Amino acid sequence: MKSAPFTYCRPASVTEACALLAADEDARLIAGGQTLVPMMAMRLARPTALIDIARIPELAFVRREGDHIEIGAATRQAFAEANATVALDLPLLARALPWIGHSAIRNRGTIGGSIANADPAAEIPLVLATLGGAVVVQTPRGRERFAARDFFLGPMTTAIPADGCLVEAHFPVWTHQRIGACFTEISARHGDFAYVSAAAQVALDDNGSCVACALGVGGATAQPTQLAVDLTGARINETTAREKLSVAIETLDMMTDPHASPAYRKRAALALALRALLAARDEALAKRART
Amino acid sequence: MNAPRAFRYISTDRRVREDRRFVVGKGKYIADIAAEAMLHVALVPSQHAAARIVSIDASRALALPGVHGVVDGAELAAACEPLMNGLDTPHVQRYPLAVGATRYMGEWVAAVVAETRAIAEDAAERVDIVYEALPHVIDAEEAYKSSSTPVHPAHGSNVLLDRVFNWGDVDEHFAASDSQLSLRVTWGRNATVPIETFGVLAQWDPWGAVLDVNASIQMPKYADQIARALRLPMNGVRVHYDVDVGGSYGVKRGIKHSVLTGYLARKLNRPVRLLEDRLENMRSGDAHGPERIFDIDVAFNSDGVINSMKMRALDNAGAYAGRAPFQLGKPIGAIVGPYRIKSVHYHAISVTTNKAVEEAVRGFGQSPTNYAIEAMVDRVAEAVGVDRIEVRRRNLIRSDEFPYLIPSGTRYDSGDYHTVVDKVLTHVNWPELVAERDRLRDEGLMAGIGVAACLEPSGGNSSFEPLLNPKNTTTTWMESCRINIDALGDINVAIHTTSSGQGHETLVATAVGEALEIDPARIRVTRPDSLSSLPGNSPVGSRMAIMLGGAAFKAAEKLKDKFRAIGAHRFGCAVDAVNYCDGNLSHGEQSLKWLDVVAIAHRHFHELPPGAEPGLEASFIMQTPTGEALPTPDGRVQMYPCHSFEFHIVLVVIDPELGKPDLRRYVIGHDCGVVINPHIVKGMTLGGIAHGIGAALLEEFVYDADGQMMSQSFMDYLLPSASEIPHVEIVHHCTPSPLTVFGQKGSGESGYLGAPAAVSGAINDAVRALGIRFEKLPIRTTAISDAIAEAKLKGRLP
Repeated sequence: MKSAPFTYCRPASVTEACALLAADEDARLIAGGQTLVPMMAMRLARPTALIDIARIPELAFVRREGDHIEIGAATRQAFAEANATVALDLPLLARALPWIGHSAIRNRGTIGGSIANADPAAEIPLVLATLGGAVVVQTPRGRERFAARDFFLGPMTTAIPADGCLVEAHFPVWTHQRIGACFTEISARHGDFAYVSAAAQVALDDNGSCVACALGVGGATAQPTQLAVDLTGARINETTAREKLSVAIETLDMMTDPHASPAYRKRAALALALRALLAARDEALAKRART
Repeated sequence: MNAPRAFRYISTDRRVREDRRFVVGKGKYIADIAAEAMLHVALVPSQHAAARIVSIDASRALALPGVHGVVDGAELAAACEPLMNGLDTPHVQRYPLAVGATRYMGEWVAAVVAETRAIAEDAAERVDIVYEALPHVIDAEEAYKSSSTPVHPAHGSNVLLDRVFNWGDVDEHFAASDSQLSLRVTWGRNATVPIETFGVLAQWDPWGAVLDVNASIQMPKYADQIARALRLPMNGVRVHYDVDVGGSYGVKRGIKHSVLTGYLARKLNRPVRLLEDRLENMRSGDAHGPERIFDIDVAFNSDGVINSMKMRALDNAGAYAGRAPFQLGKPIGAIVGPYRIKSVHYHAISVTTNKAVEEAVRGFGQSPTNYAIEAMVDRVAEAVGVDRIEVRRRNLIRSDEFPYLIPSGTRYDSGDYHTVVDKVLTHVNWPELVAERDRLRDEGLMAGIGVAACLEPSGGNSSFEPLLNPKNTTTTWMESCRINIDALGDINVAIHTTSSGQGHETLVATAVGEALEIDPARIRVTRPDSLSSLPGNSPVGSRMAIMLGGAAFKAAEKLKDKFRAIGAHRFGCAVDAVNYCDGNLSHGEQSLKWLDVVAIAHRHFHELPPGAEPGLEASFIMQTPTGEALPTPDGRVQMYPCHSFEFHIVLVVIDPELGKPDLRRYVIGHDCGVVINPHIVKGMTLGGIAHGIGAALLEEFVYDADGQMMSQSFMDYLLPSASEIPHVEIVHHCTPSPLTVFGQKGSGESGYLGAPAAVSGAINDAVRALGIRFEKLPIRTTAISDAIAEAKLKGRLP
């Protein structure tokens, strides 16, 4: 398990990284390396050069910008997990981060790395898709913004051009008074890639009626999927929610692998999405209404 | 025999001395050992389940700077003897590298030696091999058919072993029974997958004509096998036993690796090290465990008393023979488990297939057999409508029946099974546990309780060898210990094996300390190399507490006799009249201190008894208690001497939609006789249960129909982690063995031998109301969910 020979460089800026990337079509960016390094060790990935962007200062930040929070691509997952802004303004991301592997993995893994890698079972892409976020990609031609729904194209496939470097992820911030969020998943063991994951964020008004609702499932389909379920305008009840989720999930094209059949994924997607939704609702209900 | 003796150090709360170096990261593992100018090996694996090797062209590999050589199977076959087979199957020949044909995906076809492992891997990709795919067989039932493609055409079929035993009046007992039922259960292919993969460093000294071998080894007759394969005298192979082994439980056999590395070291005249990487370990290390289909017919009375059993066990040995078929033989020594089953028909079949080679795994085939027996007992309980524990009680051997002769010829040494069951039931508050399960069910969860009772045969002899291979007449299976008290009176004990976490240094220090009445902390334990060692058979078959502990104690007793002889000479009394206490001698008013005796032995020949040797040294080579006779013609034999007992109770809760089982409570009652070190036994038991949970729920080497291995790394071969293992409560009981020096029995396989049966039983209890039964391990989360969903669809919901 030694990787094939490669060269290594550590550019000082994104511009420099993009130039290096453009110069060698078999070069790869590396940040936390939590997927790429094992793939290289098994010689399933054989880049000629690694361009290490993990220490580029302009890529590590968490900042509020208008109605969303921008996170630099090389921000470590563990940093985001401990970040007060994330905890306060991005409850769904905060709930999702602890599900990523184990803490040793989150110490190295980055926010952008997980998004750019686009594993169907990955947690951060699901949060981005569920909340309808966006990413910014830099190329030698400039910067381009992609909505999450246009960005994740399939398993390990994104809209990033060959000479592009993901630089930012934008997560929408909800400003409602009563917000609840839940992230949950099922896997064979704690920390494994999820067979299915589910994310839910809801906002309720003072009467407990749903005013905003974001739902998504991961692991089940080729890319993280925002569920088209509108529950706004009424209190969320289990029966109605189950019906609407069933309809939304029924139409999805489930993946298959030796670990879980499409039927399992469909069943688990419904169960987990419903659980996530109800848990998010209950969390929001527990928050005090304006009197 | 029933009450354990009082001990000074045995069974007391003493630290495990090895733990200190391991905890601070100062163990000496094979990867820590390097030689000057050492070269590294990488292997070229076959991607085919079966293929003829048309040609091998290494020229592109050899052209790479830093590459020192490439060898293939043809070269090795010309220079070496085939590796040892357990059975008399001379046409199932196995060399470290494939010769002429490859027989499983991952099999090593060529070995590349280079300055670094990375260069060796680069070069391995440049070895150009032309294959011609051949028909293959993956499934054991398919391989057993006479029409199947033989993995070894020269052998004529895939059948390595096909033997029927009839022990007792099976037909009569079936005819006289009220009922009978049949079941089939399947044990998936798993193993002990150690943290440390196998590694070996070989150095050839042409001037001394000695091959020095350091290896991460747990293997009986290791030096012998290397010597035979490499056509060296056995005193030309020096195995170093002072290498810490980072996990094994059977699988660290590495003989093909060692012969290959030894050959390369001689050929290149450079030290050569082969450290398996994880892929090599998992797909090519020849370290998979049993994969077994059991078909059972059981005859029983309406009260649940089991009279007789017919068991067919079909084992998938993989592509070569090795010792794997013997794993069908060892369980013959406990073929009725802890039960009074009067007669047994046993059909043992081992077949070759195009899978990786099976090797010894913890319990040597006993855990699969225990799983089958316990599944059978659960089915009998269900059939007669009697509580599962009550059925077990009615069948368990009673404490007053020991020594108990089972139909297959083994005498169980001792046991008090009913008491252990009662202690466990009291500990868990059985009525409350059942009520809790039912409460959980009322909450809409699927809850179940699993129960398993089983034995751990221990003190490993090799009676299965002559039983299954008539050409093998081995009845000696010794272990040795040597004690030397040096000129300053300090105690040195030599043991002659590597250890893979069993705590042998603690074991022998405790045993010698107990005998000599000296604090074990003052006793040094060393491991001479194989050229300086007494004979032994390595830590297999849960034997070392019994055999190494026994040899150490008996060597110490011999030493005490020398002390007493010196005392008797000084005191002018009979040897028997010398009192030995705390290392000092006395007779009436006369006394000799420890150091006085040391001085006499080492420096005062004039004070030694006439004819006595100077110095204070004693060795003991111990034969296993019992098992010295060859098998009877009808296949009865005394297998292992001692029998530990375990009784498991598990409460599982299954998420009815997602299928994930959650082990809410785990209790084991454990009786391994006199415990020598409680921490070691506890660690063995907890680890064994974790391993058993893995076998029950997670771990499997999966092959697809094309013979491609689907679980080559820890991505897909799922070991349980701390998150999957519940807190385990251990209920102790001690029924000493009458056959051992302290009353100890084995515990190296404890937990693993019953956990798969218990966990499986718990899941089946949880889903019983749906008409579902899981009869194949591992039972995966997704399979549970799929089965529940299907049952609900068919309207079997209660």
